[in-house]
Amino acid sequence: MISIPDLRVILIDDNEVDLLLHEKLVTIQQISRTVLAFNNANKALEFLSSNIALPKIPPTILLLDIQMPEMDGFEFLEAFDSYPFKIKSQCHIIMVSSSLDYRDISRTYANPMVIKLLKKPLLAEELKNTIMEIFKEF
Amino acid sequence: MKDNRIRILYIDDEIHNLNAFKAGFRRSYEIYTANSAQEGKQLLKNIDVHIIIADQKMPVSTGVEFFNEIKETLPDPMRILLTGYTDVEDIIDAINKGHIYSYIKKPWDEHELHKTINNAFEIYQTRRQLKEKIVELEKINDELNRFIYSTSHDLRSPLMSVLGIINLSRLDNSVVDPNGYLEMIEVCILKLDGFIQKIIEYYRNSRLDVEYEKIDFNNLLQECIGSFKHQNTAIEFQVNVEQPVDFKGDTFRISVILNNLISNAVKYQKPDESNPKVNLTVKVEPHKATLYIVDNGIGILSEHLNNIFKMFFRSKNNNKPGSGIGLYIVKEALNKIGGTINVESKYGEGTQFEISIPNRNDFDS
Repeated sequence: MISIPDLRVILIDDNEVDLLLHEKLVTIQQISRTVLAFNNANKALEFLSSNIALPKIPPTILLLDIQMPEMDGFEFLEAFDSYPFKIKSQCHIIMVSSSLDYRDISRTYANPMVIKLLKKPLLAEELKNTIMEIFKEF
Repeated sequence: MKDNRIRILYIDDEIHNLNAFKAGFRRSYEIYTANSAQEGKQLLKNIDVHIIIADQKMPVSTGVEFFNEIKETLPDPMRILLTGYTDVEDIIDAINKGHIYSYIKKPWDEHELHKTINNAFEIYQTRRQLKEKIVELEKINDELNRFIYSTSHDLRSPLMSVLGIINLSRLDNSVVDPNGYLEMIEVCILKLDGFIQKIIEYYRNSRLDVEYEKIDFNNLLQECIGSFKHQNTAIEFQVNVEQPVDFKGDTFRISVILNNLISNAVKYQKPDESNPKVNLTVKVEPHKATLYIVDNGIGILSEHLNNIFKMFFRSKNNNKPGSGIGLYIVKEALNKIGGTINVESKYGEGTQFEISIPNRNDFDS
């Protein structure tokens, strides 16, 4: 159980099965009650930009897949980098991928916006620990 | 003009030579003529010729000077130099500066010139075909590249989803499975994934540039052991690293080699062995490192020893699952970094691999 009251989780993955799996993991681990699933990175960007009108952006965990059609994880990061500080500072990005490609892996580690790369299948414990690590100073 | 006729440009300042050449050869070839190097260059801008014949003695610029000038922009056409004098200096110059194919004396012998032109064209065509083949091969290589990349992702991605579903079913206890079918599915998935990972490993070994960096064998071995220990907790690992000098090598390939050999040493243990052991010894010297991986496992039949490094070879005397690609990858990885491997084995008693890897450290000597 993670006790960040208004914490929300945004899932971005083109694979519907993985979206469902990750949503279940977040619920079972009682990480957050608000899970928003997007099967397309563009839609997630649209949603995030609509957040600018909110008086306060809630703390947000993003679970971001790497390989996706149309816009992949890296393209998402590039676009998201230009977002206002107000939104960016509240979003904590965890990449989730089954890729073993060393270029993907090193590109992920090289990106300052990415907190961690978790391998698929996502393990409940690993996810919880990573999120707890992010919010340990709260 | 899309026929197979040989296109020739002939440059000479003497008009009657140009006319004689045309008269003698126009039935066999498509001929263009110019009476100066300058005019020749102008013509070459519009016409793609296979062979250029130039007279050496011309005012303003000589044949050799002309060939030398165009060799950067037009490297493909074959060059033939014509001259009335047999001046050795000219010939040497022509060969060294002008990259000419042949040297013909004036007045030319028609038969000889025909032969020279045809031979030159044959070389021209062979070179062109070679270039086309290179482009084709580069394309195929690139496609293979992308194929393996997408295979690694497209095949693994659904497999990892299945593993995720199995994990989830255990977490929320939603599946009644008294016969352990889920576990069987998991074992099969992991086996399949292991095979995909081996293919990716093979591919990376063959494609990746070799990079040398400092290696601490103690760390590297502990990492390897860490990833296999859980497969058989009864195994006693003995590690002995003697590294008095720095070692530089390709980390990726050396860990591929160690991972495959240690994995085998763990996998091919005797089921009834009370004291299963894996000994790892490393000795680093200024110019090489020698590694020993020794186990007291099932061993390898002597008649199989010659074949174990072949792709997809699997010894029939074990019932262990394997892809038959591990030792092949070891051998390929060693080829890439200039290492060697020796194996000694006694069936029923154990196996010893001895590896020698060059140390890429530049010591000041």
